[in-house]
Amino acid sequence: MILKQMVKQSLPLLILCGIGGIFTGSILGSMVDIFQRIPGLLVVIPGIIALRGNISTAFGSRLGSAYHLGLIDAENMWNDALKQNVIGSLTLSILVSATIGLIAYVTTFVFFQQQVNLFFLLGTVLIAGITSGLLLTSFTIGIIYLVFKRGYDPDNITGPALATVGDITTMLCLFAAAILMEVIV
Amino acid sequence: MYQWKRIVINSFPLLFVSLVIEVLVGQLLFLKEEVLLTQLPLFLIAIPVINGVGGNIGSILGAHLASGLHVGSVKLSRNDSVMHETVVTAIVMGTVTYTLLSIGIYLIGLFNGLAMNVSIYSFVTIFLSTGILLIGLLSLISVLTAFISFKKGIDPDDVVAPVVTTIGDSFGILILFLFIGV
Repeated sequence: MILKQMVKQSLPLLILCGIGGIFTGSILGSMVDIFQRIPGLLVVIPGIIALRGNISTAFGSRLGSAYHLGLIDAENMWNDALKQNVIGSLTLSILVSATIGLIAYVTTFVFFQQQVNLFFLLGTVLIAGITSGLLLTSFTIGIIYLVFKRGYDPDNITGPALATVGDITTMLCLFAAAILMEVIV
Repeated sequence: MYQWKRIVINSFPLLFVSLVIEVLVGQLLFLKEEVLLTQLPLFLIAIPVINGVGGNIGSILGAHLASGLHVGSVKLSRNDSVMHETVVTAIVMGTVTYTLLSIGIYLIGLFNGLAMNVSIYSFVTIFLSTGILLIGLLSLISVLTAFISFKKGIDPDDVVAPVVTTIGDSFGILILFLFIGV
């Protein structure tokens, strides 16, 4: 009984998320040249993917709770509760991206005695973190708005939607940021 | 009700722990960068898939166990039959998902020329072995975290997902490297 119900409700979503993973992986695969040119860039990949997911999912889940508490709804979206949440997640994005860059720099030096370009690494991670943060925050607000309009429970939708779109967006932003920094430096 | 400073202060400590672990995972990738980039780029595509699906299955399992514990349909016992059935279902779903995706990745690799050096047989075998071992490990961790946190009066919903996804990321890559033999 459990088996049938769980498979029916979760398997399609799992496969969809796996296909999202293949997209993310393909972007990684096409970045091979950049990874070889910029030592240290590969180091930040797991961190930035994981944290993007954590920050965005928590943002979506807080908006879901705010909806259940009656703090926001489709007619009353742009209020203080939403603004505080947006500022909170964007601040976290900046803080966390900078920390990833710094820890990656320090650990690469400690483990491999290899000095990577700190300015380049920090710049790339920050640009990627902030742009993907902005994109995913807007995406979440858009999804939440649609979900409100249709009267669904946001808790059922935002998690899987962000899990699928979040990684792909983050990888694309990181790719673009690395190329941008290569042009600048 | 919501204060951006409080959101930042409440979230940062846990995020910090998680990011230290994730950067160490990144160093593991860096250690094997040469092999990964030049000889086995197909496995670079496989990494987000293995980690993502593993983390999701662990989280789904954890969410089911948490709800079961909350409503009382799952008991805090190692012989609980509902818990056993849920774990078996998670492992079955994981195996099906990993099988389909590994074939998909190999086909993509054939198209864009990344599938060099690896036969479909060895790719699927390595991918599936990693996946099944990872789900087994994550199921165990998911059950333990759900049960222990519930016993201590902490809501398992808050704990299981971050624990399982972070462990999934690190062990996914570790187990994969073990099977590739790099």
